[in-house]
Amino acid sequence: MPLFKKTTNRDKKALIIGIDGVPYTLIQEYLGRGYLPNLKAIVGHGHAIHQMNASIPDISSVSWTTFATGVNPAEHGIYGFTALRPHTYSLTFPNSSDVKAPPLWNLLGKVGGGNTSTLAARYHKKVTKPYRSIILNIPHTYPAYPVNGILISGFVAIDLQKAIFPDSIYRYLKGIDYLIDVDAQKAHQDKEEFLRDLFSCFTTRQEAVKHFFREEPWDVFVACITETDRLHHFFFDAALEEGHTYHEAFVRFYRELDQFIGDLVTSFRKSYGEEAFLMILSDHGFTSIKSEIYVNKFLQEAGFLKLKEDGQFYEKIEEGTKTFAMDPGRIYINYRDSYPKGAIDRKEGDQIREEVKEILHSLRNPEGNPVIDRIYAREEIYRGPLLEQAPDLVCLPNDGYDLKGKLESESVFGNSVFTGMHTWHDALCISPPGVTWDGKPSIEDLADVIMQYFID
Amino acid sequence: MDHLTVLENKSIFIIREAYNRFKNIAMLWSVGKDSTTLLWLCRKAFFGHIPFPIIHIDTSYKFPEMYRFRDERAKEWNLDLIIGKNEEKLEEGMGPTKGSKLECCGELKTNALKQIIKKYNLRAILLGIRRDEHGIRAKERYFSPRDAQFKWDYENQPAELWDQYKSTVYEEEHFRIHPLLHFTELDIWNYVKREKLPVVKLYFSKEGKRFRSIGCVPCCSPIDSQAKDIDEIVAELKTIKTSERSGRAQDKEDAYTMQKLRALGYM
Repeated sequence: MPLFKKTTNRDKKALIIGIDGVPYTLIQEYLGRGYLPNLKAIVGHGHAIHQMNASIPDISSVSWTTFATGVNPAEHGIYGFTALRPHTYSLTFPNSSDVKAPPLWNLLGKVGGGNTSTLAARYHKKVTKPYRSIILNIPHTYPAYPVNGILISGFVAIDLQKAIFPDSIYRYLKGIDYLIDVDAQKAHQDKEEFLRDLFSCFTTRQEAVKHFFREEPWDVFVACITETDRLHHFFFDAALEEGHTYHEAFVRFYRELDQFIGDLVTSFRKSYGEEAFLMILSDHGFTSIKSEIYVNKFLQEAGFLKLKEDGQFYEKIEEGTKTFAMDPGRIYINYRDSYPKGAIDRKEGDQIREEVKEILHSLRNPEGNPVIDRIYAREEIYRGPLLEQAPDLVCLPNDGYDLKGKLESESVFGNSVFTGMHTWHDALCISPPGVTWDGKPSIEDLADVIMQYFID
Repeated sequence: MDHLTVLENKSIFIIREAYNRFKNIAMLWSVGKDSTTLLWLCRKAFFGHIPFPIIHIDTSYKFPEMYRFRDERAKEWNLDLIIGKNEEKLEEGMGPTKGSKLECCGELKTNALKQIIKKYNLRAILLGIRRDEHGIRAKERYFSPRDAQFKWDYENQPAELWDQYKSTVYEEEHFRIHPLLHFTELDIWNYVKREKLPVVKLYFSKEGKRFRSIGCVPCCSPIDSQAKDIDEIVAELKTIKTSERSGRAQDKEDAYTMQKLRALGYM
């Protein structure tokens, strides 16, 4: 007879692996080609592989925050890497302190959150014991905040000392020369050297993940690999083309990733058995760029946007501007009651939105194909108390047309050092056996599944 | 001895010690309240005439009040003033709206100083930094070695016990000397008051705003404050919760964030 009565709750363990920007279709292709034996074994072991929708817009700060909080941007408040200070054109960079909904690890860790979001309300008072989490390198968690466990912030994190909770892990990270992110600027000058840095950054990341996985107690382990996204931005054209200079390196990166996931999952299974929770996900997909689209240049040419020479970024906006764009496809109406040089009355809003939609839909590439696939009005896609902060319209482009919010450009179309762009419809989720959704899942749905596992 | 005299004596000891050990030494003067206090202490240490040059790194973006204050004091106190400017980059149009703020600081401040250090073959520089300004500065020493790349290896610093300071410099190294390290923001204001030291007027409230920390016009933002004189500033500092350089520190983080986002094709 066992000495202690086995309580199932104590044994609940979840391993969640994030692979930034990995497309479902590429994984399917590589599984087919036999590049990913470990993932193949996981999928063959009862896990289902899904194509998933990312957040809108489909960028890391929004998507990972949506994953972590299980709610949409009108509840968590993050619509992009950039925002404008209320009633000004001055640019700010939202960070973890601007996230208005509690992340799932704080709900599970019982460190507050109460019922301050729909997810929190759903599980309010249902989490019976505090679960300890290790959260490693999830984007948009900087500055690091108190958690029940350990938090190491991911992109965009500037100062390692402010990117960690608790402070005591600093010595270890410093000791292994832990890097929050590879220096992407290098890719603009020297792709070879950037690639070397990318592999070595990935090596250090793996080392840190394995260290905390082994050496620390935890119930929830969430680790994200950012290097895939960086690889894709600069080398996505090499993903499928076998003769490409960087194809071998690209595939080698994926093989290393597959090995890393395989090792982690094997020791997870060995320690905690088949019942423990395993999920692998990406925050958006990727595709090759045909052309970058400078939306503001287009709006300017169409007479919707007027810019002056001086000022930084959106401070250049002049009288008479009807609308402007922020990365990647966020469109804001220049309302009189919202901006210092606002030109549009609220009652004209609907009409202007229609005009802007029409003009954006008319945007064609040189071959005459439409650039924009869909344009959503904010109330169609967002719901929650922070709807007022949302862009008025959000564009989703057709694959290959990378929407850019930059304000200075010579022409509407252009190409640069980047060869890959994000996609909304092609994120990836490998879910535990038995977890199903009606229709295509969205990244917003995942936190609920994880919470469910811990309260059942 | 009262608190301020203890602080003053310690600073003067360090200034004299530094001058004794380094032939090629200079002081960096930003014209702000801290380095003006340091300047005052240097004058005291050498009975009115400072025996080394005073460097002002001029980005050309400083407040007009600061230039006026600098020139008046230089004349009044008979300073050997060196003005350091990165002329080449200024001619190319470098500024906070040209390129990033980070590049601007790098070229117009850091590189301008590097040029001066090289030109005058300086082996030591006196600076008015304080431990309470920023978390990382808590780790600073009074004598702090820097390599040719200006790198500060803070995990590998010599101990400073019983007023013994390491001062051997390698070929490419120079020392940063921090005689004000033990002052707090509040000490500075109390000392300024006691010594009746002149400071730039921007520190005092005008139309409900004052600057708590001054530098270049585009990168400094005032705080809401009614403090019109030193007594009112002291009273205000006793209740204030935000950090002194919060406006400026955020700027720097934003500049890095912007650089990182741009490298990935945003903005």
